[in-house]
Amino acid sequence: MLSIRAYKRQEPLQWRSCLVFLGAVLLSLAISALLLQVHGKPALHGLRILFAGAFGSLWAIEDCLIKAIPIFLCSLGVAIAFRLQVWNIGAEGQFALGAIGATGVALAFPDLPGYGLLPLMAAAAFLLGGLWGLIPALLKLRMQANEIIVTLMMNYIAILILDYLVYGRWKDPQSFGFPMTPEFGPGAIVGKIGSTNLNWGLVVCLVTGVVVWVFFRFTRLGFEFRAAGENIRASRYAGLPYQRLVCLAMVLSGALAGWAGLLEASATINRLQPSIMVGYGYTAIVVAWLARLNPLTIGLASFLLAALRVGVENLQLDLQVPAAFGGIMEGLILLTVLAGGFFMEYGLKLRRTA
Amino acid sequence: MITTPPLIALDGISKAFGPVQANQDISLAFRAGKIKSLLGENGAGKSTLMSILAGRLQPDKGRILVEGQPARFRTAQDAINVGIGMVYQHFMLVEAMTVAENIFLGYPGPPLLKPSVMEDRVAALAEEVSLTIDPRARVSTLSMGEKQRVEILKLLFRENRILIFDEPTAVLTPQEADQLFEALRQLAAQHKAIVFISHKLDEVMALSDEIAVLHKGRVVADTAATTIQSKAELAQLMVGREVILQVARDPFEARQRVLRISGLDDGELQDIHLELRQGEILGLVGVAGNGQKPLVETVCGLKPPMSGTVRIMGQDWHRFFKGRRWDGNLAYIPEDRQGLATCRDLSLTDNLLLTTRHGFAVGPWLQHRKAENKMAELSTSFNIVPPNPRLMARQLSGGNLQKMVIAREFFRRPRLIVAEQPTQGLDIAATEEVWRLLLKARERAGILLVTGDLSEALALADRVAVMFEGRIVDTFPAEDQEKIKRIGLMMAGSADDDPPRRQA
Repeated sequence: MLSIRAYKRQEPLQWRSCLVFLGAVLLSLAISALLLQVHGKPALHGLRILFAGAFGSLWAIEDCLIKAIPIFLCSLGVAIAFRLQVWNIGAEGQFALGAIGATGVALAFPDLPGYGLLPLMAAAAFLLGGLWGLIPALLKLRMQANEIIVTLMMNYIAILILDYLVYGRWKDPQSFGFPMTPEFGPGAIVGKIGSTNLNWGLVVCLVTGVVVWVFFRFTRLGFEFRAAGENIRASRYAGLPYQRLVCLAMVLSGALAGWAGLLEASATINRLQPSIMVGYGYTAIVVAWLARLNPLTIGLASFLLAALRVGVENLQLDLQVPAAFGGIMEGLILLTVLAGGFFMEYGLKLRRTA
Repeated sequence: MITTPPLIALDGISKAFGPVQANQDISLAFRAGKIKSLLGENGAGKSTLMSILAGRLQPDKGRILVEGQPARFRTAQDAINVGIGMVYQHFMLVEAMTVAENIFLGYPGPPLLKPSVMEDRVAALAEEVSLTIDPRARVSTLSMGEKQRVEILKLLFRENRILIFDEPTAVLTPQEADQLFEALRQLAAQHKAIVFISHKLDEVMALSDEIAVLHKGRVVADTAATTIQSKAELAQLMVGREVILQVARDPFEARQRVLRISGLDDGELQDIHLELRQGEILGLVGVAGNGQKPLVETVCGLKPPMSGTVRIMGQDWHRFFKGRRWDGNLAYIPEDRQGLATCRDLSLTDNLLLTTRHGFAVGPWLQHRKAENKMAELSTSFNIVPPNPRLMARQLSGGNLQKMVIAREFFRRPRLIVAEQPTQGLDIAATEEVWRLLLKARERAGILLVTGDLSEALALADRVAVMFEGRIVDTFPAEDQEKIKRIGLMMAGSADDDPPRRQA
């Protein structure tokens, strides 16, 4: 009789881990196709529409990049916290607070020129997003409150604050009752690059991505993050300022999500309204795990998951697939890749037993 | 005399991990109706032996006999099938379930169980062995002693005949411990074989029918408890006296005072007074768990002193640890080199940087290349094999990892070194190397050597301090032969040789 036995790998897989990743994504696509089929839709045709929708035209690719911007920033932030093994599930709320901060500044100084207003908006988004990250960090350190629960709950608080503002105080008198703020003045809008549809947020992503990468790789503080995330006991032994690191990680994490909120409000919809919350903060968690917390691969994974969103929109239009299908696919990809993580650590051996 | 074969007998069991001989030619017998204590320091080989008995490790050599018949334990299930059950230090219970549910958990039977039937059967069993417990109580509401009773009932319910207790009193109050001992005697009376693992001499003397002592992987004594004269004799057996190695040691002029503790008191520690100067090694000996850990944690900055003063390099504790420099200072070589001193999934270079990062920092930047070269250099001079700074810490053997930690800590040019069980788990050659390194470091530093191995203390120390129950019983020069003879007594906490205390 043949039996299968798992053994622990001594050497890391290195480049072959790409194959595991690819296999996992293919498996999730296959399951998605199966779901389409069960739903009575043509499966292969559906996948083709999905790909065409995401990569089929220059316009589609631009759309993917635009959606990748907030996902990337949130995911980069989440990854900083995850490095320290602090589980920040609150990028969604920190994103909302960042958008609120930026909007508050934009509405307060409508006549300032861009070079004065945008830095102020960035500072406000950084502060409010960072604060929304700092609160769960302090609760964790002072009162041993589980940060997963606290950050998750604070997402709902943040969204309600946003609703309160756009339904009330900040509501545009000329919006015919729709919950939205007035449109931002020209100084508060992050502009487009040349004649493309892409905004300068893309450059912000590139710069922050490189800064975070350099930070982890070449600075002493970055090393302290890595070491403290590996082994909390060893970090105490080595005199690492663990509590300060946790606070800093959560502030940076929240601030980056806050910037994503700023860009989304300013560059994409030019105002604040509830429809700004489309779950980028949750997608960011999926992205951070898929990319194994590496800033460079986070860029790639953000683009791919943004493409999935764009492609599913296309699928919805053409095949009348429910909107939830995108979320299902996102979840499938995460599950198959996480399950694939098993093969990074273990190998399988076939054995003949008597 | 006709004797029935013992329930379980070990015959010439040996087990090595790499070059470290964890168990060497161990033969022991466990008989029905007897309480046998297994005594030994941390690292003496107790846990390896128990893992072999429980079927989780395979011996390199030797046999296990079950009622005189050779048996092989290939899996944990094999050991369970012949009736060996363990009560671990950390209980294996589902907190949210009731006592009865925990006891039935994993027990083969029909798929549907009626709670009242389960509870009745557990209550009947508990009565039979007089371990009172409410079968309906949720485990999370139980005290530690009650949880332990649930663990015991779990084993009895599965009709285990050999019950192994791994340091069962560590989590109990004294009253609970007394109740446990009463229960163990009852179980022995019902023809169970009880194995009691501990390093608490009082308990072993009070409880056992037979006592076996392990030291450095060997059985150094295996005898009826009545033949043991005193706790001191046991302590002596545990830590050993035989000098396996000798290293040349020149006396040094003791210089500047680097550590001064007076009146340190914090519940576990009681009125500790200690002084250490540059150029001397103070050997702190004692049976593990007598206050060495809180003392070391206080000196190394992991735990603030509650009362009394601790001065390091002439500075008050709080001041010293607030502004401590990375070099020319305090270095700590902990017992737990894998979990505390290193990160297993970081490279050796990163592990070097763990405590020396300030020495490789320029502004905000870290000079990784320079650190890697330094690590390569240290690997050569400290003979770390393989000398590759890019290896992960987990890829090194215990001895080489220890040398890596020592190399790193010595690179900080410390003036005060705290070395905790620095040679535990190392083979002879590595032990000798570590000893030489410590003696060499003495030229520059004062060393607090915390060890459970008397021969190590005698080979290295200039002065010896003996700890018992959170107090330092005595401190004396290592040449004082009179006192050295009485170290066993001091470690057992008595000045006079007490007679063995045994109840019926």
